[in-house]
Amino acid sequence: MRLQYILEQAISNLRRNVLVVFAAVVAVLVMLALVFGTIIVRWSIDKDIGRWDDNVRVIAFLSDDLSLEEIDAIQSDIQAWDEVDDVVYYTKSQALDEFREIFFDQPSLIEIVEEDPSILPASLRIKPTEAADYSTIRDRLVVVPGVFQVSSADEAIDALVARAGHMRAFALWIMIILGAAAVVLIANTIRIAIFARRDEIGIMKLVGAGNWFVRVPFLLEGVIEGIIGAALAIALVWAVGGSIAELLSTSTAPGSLDPPTDFMIRQALILLGFGAGTGLLGSAFGMWGFLRD
Amino acid sequence: MIRLQDVAKVYDGGTVAVRDVDLEISKGEFVFLVGPSGSGKSTLIRLMLRQELPSEGQIWVAGKEITTLPGWKVPMLRRSIGTVFQDFKLLPSKTVYENVAFALEVIGRPKHVVRSQVPQVLKLVGLAAKSDRMPNQLSGGEQQRVSIARAFVNRPLILLADEPTGNLDPATSVGIMRLLDRINRTGTTVVMATHDHAIVDAMRRRVVALERGRVIRDQSRGAYQMDVEEPGESEPDEPMTAEG
Repeated sequence: MRLQYILEQAISNLRRNVLVVFAAVVAVLVMLALVFGTIIVRWSIDKDIGRWDDNVRVIAFLSDDLSLEEIDAIQSDIQAWDEVDDVVYYTKSQALDEFREIFFDQPSLIEIVEEDPSILPASLRIKPTEAADYSTIRDRLVVVPGVFQVSSADEAIDALVARAGHMRAFALWIMIILGAAAVVLIANTIRIAIFARRDEIGIMKLVGAGNWFVRVPFLLEGVIEGIIGAALAIALVWAVGGSIAELLSTSTAPGSLDPPTDFMIRQALILLGFGAGTGLLGSAFGMWGFLRD
Repeated sequence: MIRLQDVAKVYDGGTVAVRDVDLEISKGEFVFLVGPSGSGKSTLIRLMLRQELPSEGQIWVAGKEITTLPGWKVPMLRRSIGTVFQDFKLLPSKTVYENVAFALEVIGRPKHVVRSQVPQVLKLVGLAAKSDRMPNQLSGGEQQRVSIARAFVNRPLILLADEPTGNLDPATSVGIMRLLDRINRTGTTVVMATHDHAIVDAMRRRVVALERGRVIRDQSRGAYQMDVEEPGESEPDEPMTAEG
């Protein structure tokens, strides 16, 4: 009976002020969609950066005419540099495997390469002692005989990291502002609900209804608003999240940066909790000083 | 049952609502609080209900000192007190039955208790036949009967009534007073604030007269005025309106 009563109260409160509730739900929706979107984009960027595995930041492509001994000599030579932490030799066949992996969805490209695997050069993958050393290493590599081209991941990565960092800071501010707006809007719906029921509340208090019995329907109302907003945010981001991540990434393989479903579900559950928490906070503010005995 | 000791209530603006009030009301008594508007009657009722805290003094209700009662225990205090007001305070969207049942439901009484108690108390107040009516389909006197039913349905030890006949014509008021008298005969302590001379003079119960916040007279089997006048001869010293 009491549980049923509490639920009925909360739901009828929500129906009574559809417009105000709508505003509160939208605020939660936008805030949490941003949170969720940021989480996904960040995941994708991390994965994107991760393709340059183990902090390999400089790649020296080797001429095809080098003998294995010459390559060995170049490798140990470079390994001896102060700026260099580690050097790994990548054969032509390893290069082909990697190429297949990266362009798995473009079979025509793979076909061309498979016809003549020699077009993919062997390379040395160099890990700097300090990430900032990449430019020194690059400069020194350029003049090493047998190295015909030097490529470093630095610009792309730095740009990406910077972009991600700015975006995260921007999103964080918007989230804080929208979070505050959501709390205030929910608090407002609760005040309206309390005002609409003031006679009923007065009688409840007069006949000795417990303080929490009076308060819980209003707390629940805010929590429901928060959860609805969170659920809508999850649905929205789930639908369009992948395409946002792709826009921002440097990957050439569409779909390769979509986070796995179990990751998404975990984040979605956290988000629902976050929505409920926002609602609870809003209700608590809304009731502040109103529902005392 | 109720005891006030050196009670004073001074509002924030410095207005003194009541002062130096010492009052003891025994179980089963029927007490009128009389006096002009602003004399402190309603304040005393609110203090007994712990809707307000006194600035000074102590108050015992049903064996508990209520000025130091923690907030979460206040609902328990209120369950031992029934309240009736001049404006009935019925919920317009609920039927007579639902208005009375509401008082039991919100304190968590089980359904079977609600189903047995509500018809019984509606019968007591003479509204058994109108339990499905809405409040706006009832006369003022009937509405007040509903509010008395709601106050009494939980069988409180104390019934506090603040101007219960203030909005009713004299004939209807007599019916309400008969009802309160019946409730008093069940052993319920009744405290009623009023400035209805005719009722006080007719009932001849204990009268506590207030003036500017002080008790100026406490008389068993008293009348509204110190010197008894013929009923109807004295003009009411104020209009019959709600007091602030």
